[in-house]
Amino acid sequence: MKYLSPISKFFQKHKRLPSYSEILTLTGLKSKNAAHKLVARLCAAQYLKKDHTGKIIPGKKLLSIPLLGTVEAGWPSPAEEELTDTMTLDEYLIRRREATYLLRVQGNSMIEAGIMPGDLLLVERGVDPKDGDIVVAEVDNNWTLKYFRKIGNKIFLAPANKKFSLITPKNELKISAVVVSAIRKYKI
Amino acid sequence: MQNAILHIDGDAFFASCEQARNPQLKGKPVICGKERGIAASMSYEAKARGVTRAMPLFEIKKLCPDAVFLPSDYETYSLLSERLYSIVRRYTDQVEEYGIDECFVDLTGWDKPHGAGYATIAQNLKKALDTELGFTFSGGLAETKTLAKVASKWKKPSGLTVIETAKRFEFLDNWLVEKIWGIGPAHTAYLQKFNINTAGQFARMNEWQVKQGRARPFYDTFLELNGIQRIPFFGPHESYQSIQKFKTFTPPSRDFDFVFSQLSKNIENACIKARRYDLHARAVYVILRTQDFRHAWVEIELKHPSHLPGEIIEQARPHFEKLYQKNILYRATGITLLGLDKAADQLDLFDENLYRERLERLYHSADQVAQKYGKHTLFLGTSFLAKKFGAHLGERGDMPRRQRELLPGETTRRRLNLPMLFVEV
Repeated sequence: MKYLSPISKFFQKHKRLPSYSEILTLTGLKSKNAAHKLVARLCAAQYLKKDHTGKIIPGKKLLSIPLLGTVEAGWPSPAEEELTDTMTLDEYLIRRREATYLLRVQGNSMIEAGIMPGDLLLVERGVDPKDGDIVVAEVDNNWTLKYFRKIGNKIFLAPANKKFSLITPKNELKISAVVVSAIRKYKI
Repeated sequence: MQNAILHIDGDAFFASCEQARNPQLKGKPVICGKERGIAASMSYEAKARGVTRAMPLFEIKKLCPDAVFLPSDYETYSLLSERLYSIVRRYTDQVEEYGIDECFVDLTGWDKPHGAGYATIAQNLKKALDTELGFTFSGGLAETKTLAKVASKWKKPSGLTVIETAKRFEFLDNWLVEKIWGIGPAHTAYLQKFNINTAGQFARMNEWQVKQGRARPFYDTFLELNGIQRIPFFGPHESYQSIQKFKTFTPPSRDFDFVFSQLSKNIENACIKARRYDLHARAVYVILRTQDFRHAWVEIELKHPSHLPGEIIEQARPHFEKLYQKNILYRATGITLLGLDKAADQLDLFDENLYRERLERLYHSADQVAQKYGKHTLFLGTSFLAKKFGAHLGERGDMPRRQRELLPGETTRRRLNLPMLFVEV
């Protein structure tokens, strides 16, 4: 019953059944004759019914198709419904996809925060940094990866590496992006 | 405003993408198109120095010695283009993707749900694009697509212009006819015969005269300039009207097999897209572009609707042979699939049907192989020369940095689908 799913989806969306010409566009069938045959088959299988005027109305089985899950073959697999509450690794690692860039770490200024050279960072642009965020910043024409610290009105950048010192921006500080997640791959 | 069409246009889109991912390039004259030897897109810093589109690189070097030349990275531009569309779709699903860096948005009726006037929605949309993508867009709001196009170009970069139909002449009287969307050199020459140089003069012409003068699109443009919608809006889910694949190669070539191979590769690419949307073409255009930017093209009615490259290539070949001239240098080939439709018509001949069904299965498998191992893992022998030499040779042909510096686990065929920020930290 490969044509059931588009009809049932149409029914769920529009709260009515499609007309014969709509059935043609939904199923890709080419002739009204084919659509009539399909309706006859769906009636026999109790998905559709005809009322006394001959119009098609939903049958017993069509009304019992659960709204949850994706109805492909007529019956959703229970697993699919459970899986709608899960997320992909992409969704887990990325907050706002439209603003997210990849960044490959080269230095070790944040090594004590667990960010190693070669790590891949997911960074977000156009965000106002908060105290404690790890940021990609441009300070006096140099690019750097640091903790963003804001204490009172004072803003400074702190490394997570004892060999590096605090940076208090002299002229201009531009925050290009805020780090959201880090990825390290051990095997290919 | 009865209708509200917003046209969104990226400002120097490719160059802006480059500056967004490499902040060191901000404020510098950046030129994309190194692999083609001409400027495909240039930043506003370069435009200010007199660099124009399609200007050859050696000329740019003279004009602007500090220019930064980059090979175009269409993959990254496409990723950012998707972002453009997904931000626009937060406001309405009535979006027509018109190009990699531009789209039409039909805001009609969305003022109530948004609780704001059309101009305010447009402003919010533009602001969201500018801040989230990190570079600017220009917008034009009007009652028709043609007027919206004038509006978006009115103030660039980073402008937002509203053209009320009643006030259209304030804009059109200061707009040359050749800058109108859909008016090409032939129409311009025709209008010049009547001493018509501005869009305003054109829009004030006698309707009857316009209607008689040229083919229908000309009349449609005339009406659109007067605020009457004539050009249809292709919203979501309406499938592709046509699929086009057009690719330049450098250096230009007069080698028959090489040029045909380029066409073959384009046909394969177009068919991959058609199969993805389960569409079949009834006809195709084959296009050849010569070194001096002249075009030769032919329309071919296919024997039956198809999305199988083998079938199309076979039918295109005799036409290509007629079109191709021996001593001419070609620099691009293209294919357009036309008359796209979901289901293929049934064939009468049973044997042929069976054969085609097997071909369909073969290409289905090829598509699956491509999904797993990268596009063009399997390709037709006719595309071999195009594959072997790539589209661009020599110093100009250097690869975009994103493709040279791969992450562990990435291949030359497949990379992570996020743009990379190029800063050293």
